[in-house]
Amino acid sequence: MENALLEAHGLHKRFGALEAVRNVSLSLRPGEVLAFLGKNGAGKTTTVKILSSLLLPDRGEVRLLGKDPFKDPWALRHLGAVLEGNRNVYWRLTPLENLVYFGVARGLCLASARKRALALLEEYGLLEKAQVEVRHLSRGMQQKLALLQALIHDPEVLLLDEPTLGLDVETALLVQEKVRALARAGKALLLTTHQLEVAEALADRVAIIHRGEVVLVEDKERLLARFAGNHYVLELESSPPPAVLARLRALGVEGEGPFLFRGDGEALWQVLEALRPLPLRRVARAEADLLEVFLKVVGHA
Amino acid sequence: MLELFLVEFWRNLLSLRRYPMELLGGVVTLSLIFYLLFLGARFLAGPGAEFGGRLEAVLVGYLLWTFTLFAYNSLSFGLMEESQTGTLEQVFLTPYGPIPLFLVRNLAGLFTQGILVFLIALVLMALTGARLSFAPLVVLPFLAVLLGGYGLGFAMGALALLYKRIGQLLGLSQFLLLFLLQAPGGFPFSLLPLAPGAALARGMLAEGAPLEAKALLLAFLNGLLYLALGLFLFRKAVGRAKRLGLLHGY
Ligand SMILES: Nc1ncnc2c1ncn2[C@@H]1O[C@H](COP(=O)(O)OP(=O)(O)OP(=O)(O)O)[C@@H](O)[C@H]1O
Ligand SMILES: [Mg+2]
Repeated sequence: MENALLEAHGLHKRFGALEAVRNVSLSLRPGEVLAFLGKNGAGKTTTVKILSSLLLPDRGEVRLLGKDPFKDPWALRHLGAVLEGNRNVYWRLTPLENLVYFGVARGLCLASARKRALALLEEYGLLEKAQVEVRHLSRGMQQKLALLQALIHDPEVLLLDEPTLGLDVETALLVQEKVRALARAGKALLLTTHQLEVAEALADRVAIIHRGEVVLVEDKERLLARFAGNHYVLELESSPPPAVLARLRALGVEGEGPFLFRGDGEALWQVLEALRPLPLRRVARAEADLLEVFLKVVGHA
Repeated sequence: MLELFLVEFWRNLLSLRRYPMELLGGVVTLSLIFYLLFLGARFLAGPGAEFGGRLEAVLVGYLLWTFTLFAYNSLSFGLMEESQTGTLEQVFLTPYGPIPLFLVRNLAGLFTQGILVFLIALVLMALTGARLSFAPLVVLPFLAVLLGGYGLGFAMGALALLYKRIGQLLGLSQFLLLFLLQAPGGFPFSLLPLAPGAALARGMLAEGAPLEAKALLLAFLNGLLYLALGLFLFRKAVGRAKRLGLLHGY
């Protein structure tokens, strides 16, 4: 875990009888995107709030560039966050005013806050709305502004709780592109989302939290390779006669529309033998996606 | 910190320019309240009644009250609104720390509140015919009162942070402020928040009493003490809110 920008060790948080977060340890290194996944109520937002020092853990510690943000708030200079279910910005101010305000509140001086605000608005295509009060902006624009608000002081660590929620396709893609660019520029990003395809597209590493416990943290590529294993997908031109189907089942073939076979390449030949001479449409090695991984992990945890 | 002050000040001016009706509404309501009381008093006293210097003293007391009122409740209203709309957590992400930020906010709000009180003073002087001549030195006990007002404001802010809906309590306790501002200057009363500074200011304005150094010192000590107490309570409340996860609304 050398030179991690954000580190958390053994976080515990209990709300009354509910243990919302149990023994969570995470680290974010420069240049990486960590997808933080979990079902509703799994403890993602709670963890994000602890990491951003808005919620005090019962146990455990957070280090932001080596400093404890609970004791030394100046460490927050290096953190930006989009918080879930919040407006994150002032409705009665314009995007430009919001960014200047938050820029200064995060430690920039007025002149550089303004300069950076204009540059960001330009970059994210919000310049023409720079002078319109936020309450008159569309939801997607507000969400985009929430992201800019987290970026205004150019922090090293970004915690994004559902940043693509409610964005249209184009804007979501823009945000994804920007997230990649930020990671390339050496920022460390944590991203929670229920859109697993977004996570799959962006993540370098994946962490899955289930009932307050991190049940998996792994490099994304390795994770997908591990879960792909020896699975094959078979599709036929028409449904097989019952006798063939019975033989397939005996060989352990699952599924209906596309059939799924778990086994190695040799065993696959037995399946193909059983299917002969029915016309095949497709035989392919199954690729795992994050959705499948996710369902398996939280299903078995 | 200076930059933070400037940006908070700028934010105040923006909302003043963008929503002038809120300021005007405040001026009208607060002027009207006093004017109706004034009319009522004149009606009771009968036609041709002369208030003499009393009117001026009462008016000064009233203006002081409105000023203190803002110091007292603007933090709480801000906290309640921001936790509901969901900007409070972002505000708490400031590296300056929430308490310095709210102190600076209070300071930056003084100017707009000053404008408001000034407008109320103009309106009421025109309506009632009162003549206020400000001895510039009155500003000093005024400041002492404001310090105490902010202290009480932080104490209420602590409640607002933890319990959110304290609008009713704020409304009722405004009258407690009125009592504190009208309390006599002597010993047991001078321990109450706001009282010694207010008594000093009243004496200077209504009776033309000179500014007594000892009384002023006492007023400032009182103001600082209650400010420190308010900040202490607020600090505790921030810690508790962070433990219980109360910074967001609903
Ligand atoms: N301030 C609080 N007081 C009491 N319980 C809370 C508080 N905040 C969160 N919880 C509870 O903690 C659990 C975890 O909530 P959390 O918001 O972290 O989930 P999440 O993973 O972000 O879910 P979602 O995907 O729905 O956003 C939930 O059961 C929630 O009800
Ligand atoms: Mg959440």
